[in-house]
Amino acid sequence: MKKLTLFLMGLALSIQAYALMPGEDGDRLLGVWEPSNGRARVKVEKIGTKYYGKIVWLKEPNDPKSGLPKTDKNNPDANLQNVPLKGYRMLKDFVYQGNNQWTEGTIYDPLNGSTYSCTIKMTDPNTLDIRGYIGVSAFGRTDIWKRLAVKK
Amino acid sequence: MLKRFYPCWNSIILGLGCWAVGYIAQAQNTDSTKQESTSDEDFSMYDNVGFADEGARRYCSPKIEGLSPAKLISLGYDFQAGYGLGVDTFTNHTNTWEPDSARVLNSRGLRLGFNIPVISRTNLVWQMGANYWEQRYFMENPYGSALQTEHPLLQTLSENGLRTFGVSTTLFKPLDDKRFLLFQGSADLNGDFSTLELMPLKYLKYSAALVYGLRPHEKKQWGLGLARTYRVGELNYIPVFLFNWTDPANKWGTEILFPARAHVRYTINPRNMLFGGFELEGQSYRLWNTNSTPDKFREEDLEIRRGEIRLRAMYEFSLKDFVWLSVQAGYRINYRYEVDRLVGGQEIYRAFGLLSDEPYVMENRLGNPLYFNISLNLVSP
Repeated sequence: MKKLTLFLMGLALSIQAYALMPGEDGDRLLGVWEPSNGRARVKVEKIGTKYYGKIVWLKEPNDPKSGLPKTDKNNPDANLQNVPLKGYRMLKDFVYQGNNQWTEGTIYDPLNGSTYSCTIKMTDPNTLDIRGYIGVSAFGRTDIWKRLAVKK
Repeated sequence: MLKRFYPCWNSIILGLGCWAVGYIAQAQNTDSTKQESTSDEDFSMYDNVGFADEGARRYCSPKIEGLSPAKLISLGYDFQAGYGLGVDTFTNHTNTWEPDSARVLNSRGLRLGFNIPVISRTNLVWQMGANYWEQRYFMENPYGSALQTEHPLLQTLSENGLRTFGVSTTLFKPLDDKRFLLFQGSADLNGDFSTLELMPLKYLKYSAALVYGLRPHEKKQWGLGLARTYRVGELNYIPVFLFNWTDPANKWGTEILFPARAHVRYTINPRNMLFGGFELEGQSYRLWNTNSTPDKFREEDLEIRRGEIRLRAMYEFSLKDFVWLSVQAGYRINYRYEVDRLVGGQEIYRAFGLLSDEPYVMENRLGNPLYFNISLNLVSP
């Protein structure tokens, strides 16, 4: 009985330790990335076992009409149209599948308020292929994101 | 006995406690993913960053902000209201047919289009497409009775209509963050063939355009180029001008590839757009079908040079997510509907009369009707 209890306790702690382990392969996605259009910078974080990306920088941070910080005004949900774009989670729910690929996530395009299915493939340590698609991968578009680092 | 288990119970409680703390921490984190924004963070630290890979380059995008979404799949129907059609004298190696005329009650047909991205990378975008268009003519004689004509052109239009099967390709090659090359090419099979009996591929018509462009900022791209085109009905080599632009407030803009099309765009919101402008449509259609015109056309190497200008207003909007409806209405102005004879199997290149004034075989007359078009579209991310 004691052995069983110790085994269960050890298993629980191992699961916790695995979930919080910083060095696992999927964590190579963590960091700050820039989409090809250069209009935004996105910080990828890990929450639980999934990966999320939030906008942390905008080339044009303020609305040219009002002069106020940009909000998610194109969101089809009127309740979310006043949410600031800085800090907005545009990548959600990515799970690392191995082989440099993160899947099961979504990407949100603030320019038109649409959310697409999305897969991420790391082609080298500083480059991501981000493919947003509708239903099946063939109906989609791939964008290349580059990793950013603090300027020396 | 009980004492022997005390350490064990402590361990279990400790273990469960650790698990509970971890679970609650994780649960809080998971809950935070439901938040759309975490705006209380200091973002200033992200101002001073650059590419981790120092050799990385930025390339300009094929799109600009505010542009209407590209259509991946389009299922459409085109309808032209009634107009008069007068056909010219026609003489072949055996006979002569006098001029004749008909009242086209309407001409209409399906318009299907597919565009699939093959390569979509920062430094190269390549799309392949296919399309099927048909125009069927529903005619009567000018006095309102059923059409009775011996003229082979009226016969084949009435019985077969005109069809196009085509494939196309588009390449966008950014040279850097401001300059780009755009290539579009297509191969089309146009004629009075039926879907059950396609024409041989030797009758394919090839069109192409190459544009060198600039994209000075997110809301403007423009370029100049050269096109080999059948849009005016017959083969021509013409300059083309690209100008896509969106105003700072994202309300007004232009989508222009002149002379093929030019539209002013008004954006109600990114899911509702209004357009006003024109499109130049046209092709060369091989007269090939002998079902209704036995031996009158096929040996004669004849093609209809059809070119028309469509002045129009369009409303495009999202029905649900990525499914958009496009509704357009306008006025179709006939530019050319002549029948031409190939010489030695080659098209006569007239260059708008500058290089040749060879007369057409038939110079036909079309009225200018109102037209309507509706299409259901799956749009690109």
